[in-house]
Amino acid sequence: MSNRIDMKGITKSFFATKALDNVDFSCHASEVHALVGLNGAGKSTLMKVLGGIYSSDEGTIEVDGAAVTIKTPVDADNAGISMIHQELSLINELTVAGNIFLGRELKRAGTPFLDKREMARRVKAELDRFGLMLDPNMPVRELNSGEKQIVEIIRALMSNSWLIVMDEPTSALSEEDKERLFGFIERMKQEGIAIIYISHHMPEIFGIAERVTVMRDGEIVLSERIAETSEPAVIRSMTGRELAHFEKPHKEIAGEPLLTVDALSKPGSFEDVSFEVRPGEIVVLTGLRGCGAPELAKSVFGLDGDYTGTVSYLGSPLVPGRGPAVAVREGMGLVTENRDKNGILPALSVRDNIALPFLEKALRGGVLSRGHIEAVVDKAIRDTSTKTSSPDQEIRFLSGGNKQKICFSRWLDDDLKLLILLEPTRGIDVHAKADIYRIIEDLAGRGVGVLLLSYEIDEVTMLADRVITMYQGKSIARYNYPEFDKDQMLADMAGARI
Amino acid sequence: MMTSTATLASGTPKKAIDSLMLRYLVLIGLIVIASVGFSIANENFYSLTNIGILLRSIAVLFLLAMGMTFIMLTGGIDLSIGSNVAFSGAVGVLTLVTTGSAALGFATSILAGMLIGGINGFFIGRLKLSPFMVSLATYALARGLALVLYDANSINVDNAAFLWLGGVSWGNMPVVIPFVALVFIALSVLLYQTPFGRDVYAAGANANTAFVLGRRPERTLVWVYVLSGALAGLSAIITVGRVSSGQPWAGLYLEFDAITAVILGGTSLFGGRGKLLGTILGVLLYGIIINGLVLTGTNPYLQSLIKGLILLGVVLLDTLTQKGKAA
Repeated sequence: MSNRIDMKGITKSFFATKALDNVDFSCHASEVHALVGLNGAGKSTLMKVLGGIYSSDEGTIEVDGAAVTIKTPVDADNAGISMIHQELSLINELTVAGNIFLGRELKRAGTPFLDKREMARRVKAELDRFGLMLDPNMPVRELNSGEKQIVEIIRALMSNSWLIVMDEPTSALSEEDKERLFGFIERMKQEGIAIIYISHHMPEIFGIAERVTVMRDGEIVLSERIAETSEPAVIRSMTGRELAHFEKPHKEIAGEPLLTVDALSKPGSFEDVSFEVRPGEIVVLTGLRGCGAPELAKSVFGLDGDYTGTVSYLGSPLVPGRGPAVAVREGMGLVTENRDKNGILPALSVRDNIALPFLEKALRGGVLSRGHIEAVVDKAIRDTSTKTSSPDQEIRFLSGGNKQKICFSRWLDDDLKLLILLEPTRGIDVHAKADIYRIIEDLAGRGVGVLLLSYEIDEVTMLADRVITMYQGKSIARYNYPEFDKDQMLADMAGARI
Repeated sequence: MMTSTATLASGTPKKAIDSLMLRYLVLIGLIVIASVGFSIANENFYSLTNIGILLRSIAVLFLLAMGMTFIMLTGGIDLSIGSNVAFSGAVGVLTLVTTGSAALGFATSILAGMLIGGINGFFIGRLKLSPFMVSLATYALARGLALVLYDANSINVDNAAFLWLGGVSWGNMPVVIPFVALVFIALSVLLYQTPFGRDVYAAGANANTAFVLGRRPERTLVWVYVLSGALAGLSAIITVGRVSSGQPWAGLYLEFDAITAVILGGTSLFGGRGKLLGTILGVLLYGIIINGLVLTGTNPYLQSLIKGLILLGVVLLDTLTQKGKAA
C-alpha cells in the first residue's frame, strides 16, 4: 500500500493569472494535513490538480517517490486518491451498499444477478472496521448529510483509496455528526489512511490535524507541524494584500435608523442577531460559509419569514416573509449571490434586465414610455460603466463582471432606500471589483443604506462603516470604521480564541 | 482580457437581431414558395375566393396561436385550447338559445373560455404544477363538459348577430380578418407596451429572478392562461358563425396546429424569446400548406403525417438553435 504523496513545484496559470506558483505539498499515511487559505488562495486549484481535473503547467506528482501521471479523474482513482465533495454524489434511491458498489456490482457466480447479500456483508465488515453504525441495506434517501458523507468515504476506501481529500466536510453537519466524523477520521489515521483536510475552522484543524499548510495568492506561506504553530499565527499568515485599488471616501452618517433588526433568530441558521443600518451606512456581515449571514439577509428582504424577533424598516415592523414584491415597493433592493440562478434573465436584453423592478414608474397614459425606459437604462449603464454594445444586447453575452454591474444598475432608482448585497464581487475580475466598490460607495453617498455580506476579509475592511462578524449563526463582535483588526475578525469567523 | 470580452460583446447583438429578422425573411420566402407551388398545382389556389376561404379557415388559428405565443413565452404550454373552443361554444350557444340574446351569448362564451384558462392558471401559476399535465387534464375535462352540454348533438344557430363575426364577408373579405388584425394590434400593445407584457417575457426567461426583483411571476402565469382561454372563447364564437351551428367536436386538434405555428414562427419552446409577428407568419405558412394539401387533393391520412413531420422539424430546429444559445 502506498503511504506518501509529494507534489513538487506545481505551477498553474489561467490566462495571465498564476493560480499556483511553484507549490510543494505532501501528505503521508496516518496523517491529517490541513490546507487553509482565503477564497482564491489556490487551495481548490491545487486539489483539482491532484484529482486530475486540471493538469498543471509545471511540476510533478510522486507516489512513494515514483512519478505518476494524473491527467484525468480516472488516473487519480487508479493512484488511490479520492475527493469527497461538498455536493454529495450519491443516488438517493439506492441502498448504502448499492451506492458503494455502483458500477462494480458483485454478481452471483455464473449468473447475471446481483449478489446483494455479499455486497451488504462486505460493506458491513468495512463499517465495523471503523466502528461505524450504519445499515448497509438502508436507502441513502433516509440518511442525513453526515451519514451520506460517511458512505462516500467508505465507498472511496473500498475502491482502494489511501488518500482522502475532504473539502469543508463539516460545513453542513450537526454537532453530533461532526463528532462522529472526527472519530471516523481518527480511525482512518490508525488504519494508515492519509487525509488532506480543507477547512477554515481553527478549532477543528487544531483538534485533528498533524500538519497545517496555509496558502495565499497561489503560494505556500506557512507549513508547520500543529504542535509548532498556533491559531493566531495561522490566521495572520492567511491575510493577504489588498487586491482591488480602492479608497474609501469620507462621509457623515446621520439620521434615524433605516433598518433595525432586533433579536432575530431562525433555528439552524442564525441566533439572536441585532443591528441597525442608517441612511448612507454600509454594514457588512462576514463569517465563513455556513455562518448564517445570507439566510439573515434574505429574511430581512422578506424572502423567508420563518424567524422570531423583529425587523423594523422606516420605523415600523415588517411582516415576516411578505415577499420581494412588497420589499421592492417599499424601496428595498437585493443583489443575490447566485447570478445565474436568480440574478439575471439570460434570454432578455440588457434593457429588460435593468428596467424590470421599476416598470410601473415608466407608465405614461397606461403604456410604457420607451423614452423614459431608454433614459433610465442609459443612465444605469453609464453610472456603472457597464460594457455593452447596446441595451438591446441579450445579457448572456456579457462577461461576469458586466452581468454583475447590471444586477446593481437596476436598483439605481431615486426611491431605493436600502440595498442588500450578497457576495457582490463573487467570481468577477479585479477591474470590475473596483467598479462595484465605487458603485456601492456612490449609493451610500446618496443616502442609501447598504447591508452587505462578504466572505472576503479585504473587501470587508475596504467597504465597511461597520462590520459584524458571525460564527455558526451568532454575531460575535462588531467593529466600527476605521478600527478594523483583520486578525481579530478572522479569528472571530473561525471560532478561534486569540 | 477586458478588450476580448468587449469585442465579443460588440459582435453578438447584431447577430441576435439578425437571426430573428432572418427567420422572418425565411418564413416570408417559404410563404411565397408554397403559394406559387400550390397555384401551379391547382389554378384555384390563387383565386380571391380561395384566399378568402383560406383566411377564414385560419382566423381561429391566428387567435389561438397568439394566445399560445404568450403562454410559450412564459415557457408553458396549453393543450386545452381546442377542447375549450368546444366547451365555451357550448356555453355561448346554450345561453343564446335559452335567452335569445346574442350579447349574452358572446359574454358567456368568453367567460367560459376564461374559466378553463383560470383553472389552468391556478394550478400552473399558483400551485406550480406542470403546464403540460394540467392542460392535458383540462383538455379532457373541457371536451367532456362540451359533450355533456350538447348531449353529444350539434345545435343549429340562426341568430344573425351571433353568426356575423364568423360568417359574414364584405365581398371576398371575411369580416373576421380585420377583427383578427385588431386583436393582433391590441395584443401587441399588451405584450410590448405594458408591464404585464414585460412580465410575460421575464417569467419565461427566469421566473426566480423575476420573483426576487419584486415581480409576481405566479400572477403573470395565471393571467396568461386566462388570456388564452378568453381567445378560445372568441374563437368559439367565430367557429359557430362559420358553420352556423354549435358542434361538440369543434376545435379538434387546434392545440396541435397552434403549437406548431407558434414554434414555426420562431417562439422558443424554452420561454423568453419570440414575437407575435413571427406567430402571424407561422400561422400563414402553416395555413397555406394545409389549405394547399386539401386543394391538391392530398390523401387526408397523409396530411396528418405531414403535420407531424412539420412539428418534429420545427421542434428540432428550435432545440438546436437554443442549444447554441445556452451558457
